[in-house]
Amino acid sequence: MTRTARKVAHWATILAFVGPFLGFLLVFQYWPLVQMVNDSLYDFSLLNPARRTFVGIENYTWAFTDPDRIQAFQVTFGLAIGTICLILPVSFLLAVYLNGKLPARGIIRTIVFLPVITSAVVIATMWTFLLDANNGLLNSALTALGLPRGLFLTDKVQALPSVIMMTLWQQTGFATVLFLSGLQGIPQELEDAAHVDGATAWQRLRFITVPLLIRTTVFVVVIMTAFALQAFAPALIMTGGGPEGMTNFVAYDIYKLAFILEAPGLASAVSVIFTLIVLAISLLQMRLLRARWNY
Amino acid sequence: MPRILRLGLGLVVLLVVVAVFLGPYAWIAASSFKPQDEIFRDLEPLSWRTFWPTSPTIENVVHLFENRRMGRALLNSAIVSTCQVILTLVLCSTAAYGLTRIRFRGANLVFALVLMTFLLPLESLVVPLYMTVSGLSLQDTLIGAFIPWIASPFGMFLLRQYFEELPRELDEAARLDGAGHFRIFWSIVLPNVRVPMVTLALVTFLFSWNAFLWPLVILSSPGNTVVQIAIAQSVAPGQLPNWGETFAGATVATVPLILLFLFLQRFFVRGVALSGVKG
Repeated sequence: MTRTARKVAHWATILAFVGPFLGFLLVFQYWPLVQMVNDSLYDFSLLNPARRTFVGIENYTWAFTDPDRIQAFQVTFGLAIGTICLILPVSFLLAVYLNGKLPARGIIRTIVFLPVITSAVVIATMWTFLLDANNGLLNSALTALGLPRGLFLTDKVQALPSVIMMTLWQQTGFATVLFLSGLQGIPQELEDAAHVDGATAWQRLRFITVPLLIRTTVFVVVIMTAFALQAFAPALIMTGGGPEGMTNFVAYDIYKLAFILEAPGLASAVSVIFTLIVLAISLLQMRLLRARWNY
Repeated sequence: MPRILRLGLGLVVLLVVVAVFLGPYAWIAASSFKPQDEIFRDLEPLSWRTFWPTSPTIENVVHLFENRRMGRALLNSAIVSTCQVILTLVLCSTAAYGLTRIRFRGANLVFALVLMTFLLPLESLVVPLYMTVSGLSLQDTLIGAFIPWIASPFGMFLLRQYFEELPRELDEAARLDGAGHFRIFWSIVLPNVRVPMVTLALVTFLFSWNAFLWPLVILSSPGNTVVQIAIAQSVAPGQLPNWGETFAGATVATVPLILLFLFLQRFFVRGVALSGVKG
């Protein structure tokens, strides 16, 4: 074989292995990304996308000033922050329990993980009926315990906390598994040494376990942020974004703008803003993740 | 801790976990086998009846398959998920081989391109993606439902890590015996990465089966509906839901996954934990 022939064969092999993947990646991830930025500068409809008028940054000025859009961003971050604040303590304690030599560990881990593999649609469906103000299981349980009943999804104040509660239920298993693998990565010698030195269980938790789990905690925060920002099924299935926009999460807002209100240009502008915010958060969190702990 | 205290603590935690996490599942599953009025009647006061069908009926399930095209939806979901799993495995394993086993200029660039898409939220891409896929005339087809996701950055990343760990002496020995890249890929590398391949297959199946936003956007005709859309349509606000039927739908869509999970738990937990940033 000549040198050129060998070179051609070499690149043909590379193309055969990497080409298909790269092609699909470019067509279905990078091309839409370019298209999204371009679309955000136009006014058009999905029925006839070729007929479009250039409007410049008009879609953006609208997205930044329209109160409904601003509220969508606020409630989405409210969902993320609320979920994270609750899930960190709950899943950490569960992981500590599962890491000890305590009874029923296997079955508890399996049960807690079930919602993680259940679809968002089934969970939203389940919780629509759990939270039903008249015939819901939760109100029935509250009555049985002698507690006051709630309005949940139909109430302006209770709607977002209700979705946060559902997200907590859905993701606790996931966060617990992450914490559990973090705990199992802590060398046993450290615990043993502290034990020999007379540290109490609380002191060992406070001065060994918690500091060494910072990295895991950041990782849990990253993943839970990603999940909360993706919230779509709860808005579509449970509330339709209401009451008064209190559960109008950005992913649902984009969907509604593009496919129901037939304003894909506006939806693209909101998408670009959303993508930039998510990218910024991800990069920040990944920087934090790089801070490694040596032990 | 004394033994009795430990047992007591275990029992309390177990009871709380069962009530909070299994309670809703039990209620849904039991109610799938009850007529509507019985669901409401058994709800209050709360008792064991709430979680158990005393006079079970399969009317809801039958109705679901006869009038709500559940059979068709299940079949479509199975087709989409199977195709997505197979094509994801093919694309990701070949690409991971190319990037780890063949030296070439630009390999790092390709990998950087893959890494960058990790951070992109799919939810914000649906609008342009819809236009791309309809531009290829794949809207409202089952192919359109899975084709955007088969070049999975997560899958490539996962496999690449395992491919890196395989000792290179293996392929060098094969190359001395005259084997080419395709041969080495097929008979040396692939047999040694079965565990990550199974993990990737399961995670892909899980995501594909549970996917909602994209199928909702791209599939429109009733004959092309998938399981998650079929369930969602019976509860969406503004509808007067038939509780028993909706519950039966949720049960039918979830039972296969739970069975799969119970048998292959370790792969699932590992895979979902690894899937990390990309949900």
